[in-house]
Amino acid sequence: MKTAQAGTVESMDCLVTVSETDPGTGIALTLAGASVARFSKAMDKAVRETLGQLEIKDLTITVQDNGALDLVLKARVEAAVTRLKGGDEA
Amino acid sequence: MRLRRTMLYLPGNNPNMLLRGHLFAPDGLILDLEDAVAVREKDAARILIRDVLKRGEFGSCEVTVRINGLDTEYWRKDIETLVPLGRLDGVRAPKVDDAATVKQLDEALSEIEEKAGLEVGKTKIFCLLETARGIFNTYDIATASPRVTAVIPGGEDLTADLRTNRSPEGTELEGIRKSVIVAARAAGVDALDTVFPRITDDEGLKRETEFIKQLGFDGKSVIHPNQIPIIHEVFTPTEKEIERARKIVAAAKEAAERGLGAVQVDGRMVDAPVVKRALFTLTRAGLLEEGTDNA
Repeated sequence: MKTAQAGTVESMDCLVTVSETDPGTGIALTLAGASVARFSKAMDKAVRETLGQLEIKDLTITVQDNGALDLVLKARVEAAVTRLKGGDEA
Repeated sequence: MRLRRTMLYLPGNNPNMLLRGHLFAPDGLILDLEDAVAVREKDAARILIRDVLKRGEFGSCEVTVRINGLDTEYWRKDIETLVPLGRLDGVRAPKVDDAATVKQLDEALSEIEEKAGLEVGKTKIFCLLETARGIFNTYDIATASPRVTAVIPGGEDLTADLRTNRSPEGTELEGIRKSVIVAARAAGVDALDTVFPRITDDEGLKRETEFIKQLGFDGKSVIHPNQIPIIHEVFTPTEKEIERARKIVAAAKEAAERGLGAVQVDGRMVDAPVVKRALFTLTRAGLLEEGTDNA
């Protein structure tokens, strides 16, 4: 199964890992990190919004968060998905 | 004129620094896509910088991006992604060797600005001169496009190209700094000095900043926030300098009202260049609005 990552576990960043899944399985999202208890709803929304914009319907995605703002989380999701799709031209 | 006493490099793949850099109140920011970003992270850094630019919170800092060199495959994508957002004041181009490089970047920027509906020429160019050839061609580089707003001699790359290395006294850069100043002034652009690499050596930084200020430099690139207040202090005029500048500006105003060409202040003749310098002193002291037309 193809997997890609983007981001780091440094302060104010997050490490996003994405893997391809079979069509029709939907989005399987796992959030981990200290701020998840408080912000899981907002983080969930940010991830799904970004995936929607990228037209991704089926994906396994894990976020290891270390205090990333919404915009950072979204940027990391986009980078990871772009790498997964092979559009990574650097 | 815009103050460029300090321009702080921020590593392009580091959200913490990118989002907080402006809080250290440098005059400018350099979001770095070049040396601070590993090759395999160029894509993620570009996306991150794009989104940080969209958010747009940079205080009163001048916002620039150091793009990848025009000899790499990345630079075009750097500007295609970031310039259309309309938030960038300028791009800092590494390893500019000749006027042709500036013209190539100028044309690419014009194309992107036009397509994005931005004012053509809005994005300024800061040229890093990191080779002997670049230094030799400083004037041609600085006049290759009206976008060029500053030239910056390199440090490490340049001394390597000169077959020497950086010393605490900066002997190897002395002649270069002097020639860059002359070329920059002749071309009407700012001269910004290279970074001071020893981040815990405050005394050394102060000495070097005093030296480059005396040569005529407008400011210095910065790699650590702790360097900012030290450099600002050197570039900030003393009470005595401010008092004298005020007197000169007031005397010049009075002379103009009375239709006189030159007047005396404290026994010294005051003419146009002296007034210009006094206005510049007040700008540096933060007593005149930046952007005031005092040229």
